[in-house]
Amino acid sequence: MKRLLGSAAVLGALVGLLVLVGSGPVWAEDGVTDKEVVVGAGLDLTGAVANWGVNIKAGMEAVFNRVNEAGGIHGRKIRLIAYDHVYQPPKAVTNAKRLVERDKVFVMMGHLGTPTTKAIKDYVEEKRVPNIFPATLASIWTTSGKWHVGDLATYADQTGLIVDYLVKERKIRKIASFYQDDEYGLDGHLAGKSRLKHQYDLAYVAEVDYKRADIDFSSQAAKLKESGADAVIVQAVYREPPRLAEQCAAIGYKPLFIGPSPIVVAKTIELGGKHVEGLMGVEVYPLPTDSGAFLDQYRADMAKYAPSLPIDTTNLYGYQKAALFVEAMQRAGRNLTRDSLLKAIESIKDWDPGWGLKYTYGGDNRRGMSNAGRLVIVKDGKWTKAGDWTELKEVGRR
Amino acid sequence: MVEILSSQVVSGLATGCVYALIALGFVLIFKATDVVNFAQGEFVMVSGFISYTLLIRFGMPYWLVLVSTIVLSGFMGVLLERVVVRPIMNAPIFSIVIATIGASIVLRSSAGILYGYDVLPLPTIFSKDPIRLGVVNFTAMDAGVIGSSLVIMVALYLFFKLTKTGMAMRATAQSQTAARLMGVSVPRIFSLTWAISAGIGGVAGVLIAPIIYLDPNLGFIGVKAFAGAILGGFGSIPGAIVGGMLLGILENLSGYFFNAGIKQVSTYILLILVLVVRPSGLFGAAPVRRV
Repeated sequence: MKRLLGSAAVLGALVGLLVLVGSGPVWAEDGVTDKEVVVGAGLDLTGAVANWGVNIKAGMEAVFNRVNEAGGIHGRKIRLIAYDHVYQPPKAVTNAKRLVERDKVFVMMGHLGTPTTKAIKDYVEEKRVPNIFPATLASIWTTSGKWHVGDLATYADQTGLIVDYLVKERKIRKIASFYQDDEYGLDGHLAGKSRLKHQYDLAYVAEVDYKRADIDFSSQAAKLKESGADAVIVQAVYREPPRLAEQCAAIGYKPLFIGPSPIVVAKTIELGGKHVEGLMGVEVYPLPTDSGAFLDQYRADMAKYAPSLPIDTTNLYGYQKAALFVEAMQRAGRNLTRDSLLKAIESIKDWDPGWGLKYTYGGDNRRGMSNAGRLVIVKDGKWTKAGDWTELKEVGRR
Repeated sequence: MVEILSSQVVSGLATGCVYALIALGFVLIFKATDVVNFAQGEFVMVSGFISYTLLIRFGMPYWLVLVSTIVLSGFMGVLLERVVVRPIMNAPIFSIVIATIGASIVLRSSAGILYGYDVLPLPTIFSKDPIRLGVVNFTAMDAGVIGSSLVIMVALYLFFKLTKTGMAMRATAQSQTAARLMGVSVPRIFSLTWAISAGIGGVAGVLIAPIIYLDPNLGFIGVKAFAGAILGGFGSIPGAIVGGMLLGILENLSGYFFNAGIKQVSTYILLILVLVVRPSGLFGAAPVRRV
């Protein structure tokens, strides 16, 4: 009897211990402890769009370093774990699994690339890990529900601005599309097609595709020339516009090239030189050389934490994301969970970090937090503004 | 139509010439030593970075950069042969091939660590402005690439045909034992072969890097050149040249007539077709069956 009682006591103690362990520490969420928040990112650090990846990482780290040195947010420091997916979807999936299952990240943040982020979409949904401010502005993130939150105007909306500008202001009716044959290029390509058809009863005079990491566009140049297009919308990144412009010029063809925000980087000009003079783009946040308290802080932080990298739209993009994340963390308070973070993001309304752009949660359809956009042009080897900020209208792909 | 097509052929030929140079590097080493050197593409990439460093960081004049790059590339070839290949020369060929793959990864990563993975523009003396000749549009760059490649090919031909060393190299390729008996130093010939192959890779690097930009993944161009070498008949020098050139032209034309997806696989479709019809490639000798 005594032995039985003893066993019962031991059993009781064990059950009690299990209950305690089961209820766990106060912060039940993965990646959140008393002192730290772990954030994961899949970036291209060594592949075809490494310029974006390396700089986004540096921009995010500049914000996190400054915040951490000041003691963190609600007592928690932010730690970023970034892996290289080389802009290849299968590698992005492997990295996401590693980040979620082994590193136990709290959220995915600034995940780079449309095809690569699309590849991890189902997985993060299944694991209920928020995909915050991915470094892709495809419109897919505005229609994918709770776990995905975009930050800026989509490629589809940007292409709407481009089409309106070409047809209404420049009176150009022969417009061609040169696009990356994946979820990234198709977003703007299809939106432009639909905009031309429904708004202006026009169609692309040529639709020419290329594959990710292609390096030769002579056949595309020939097709574009044959179409007689006066303007070519380039749904590309920074390697392609200079090379395409060069190869078009080589066969005596010089249309107006214009594209969405991924081409608006210093690298495009460095690679293209005189061939990209006059190239136009859309930007969805100010130029790194613009004025404003937020940009002053950005320049100071970059000089302090990433002195080897020149200021550029690429690292400003990451910096802007991290600043938005820090704001959401502030609002979420000490009791941080994935749900409380998402709720905090939803509470953001007319918030200006200090550069004139206002961020507002886009509602359940999760359009960007900011839908502003304006045109820029390469002038004397520099990206220069060519229009005023406008609130971009939603442009459907169909 | 004629105008567009002829321009496509010329620019395809320019890319094809670079494939041909890299393919030559593959074939020379294979003929002499029976090794397929999968670091051949990396010779192209490394030489691109060598010329970038000399040109941008040291501000050397272009002609000196060109000569130094070829010499340094050749030296890199010798080094690779001495350090990686020679110690395992008696191992099965398969092991040596794997070792060259390892070397290619080391070279690629080293370039990434030293220069970063960003694409860099490499200046060139050839202008990218258009030139018009009859119905053909091309650039001085295209003409320069084709011209330089042809010069290298002719020089190589003369070297093998007319010089004693060239003859020794051909003898070694035919029979190492016989060459050794004739007093040829086979290890020296091996080193020389690697030096020449890497040197040609160096020329290819200087020619192609300004066109497709410089980054540590540039070496993957070697995969296409390898396909060109097989197309021509692996082991045949004229085969490597014709195979590489054909490939460049075919890629351009298929991209023009179809889309980017077809352009990407056209190389391999053609490769399979040729190998089905002629398993030894366009110029390859049919394997001799000993009875």
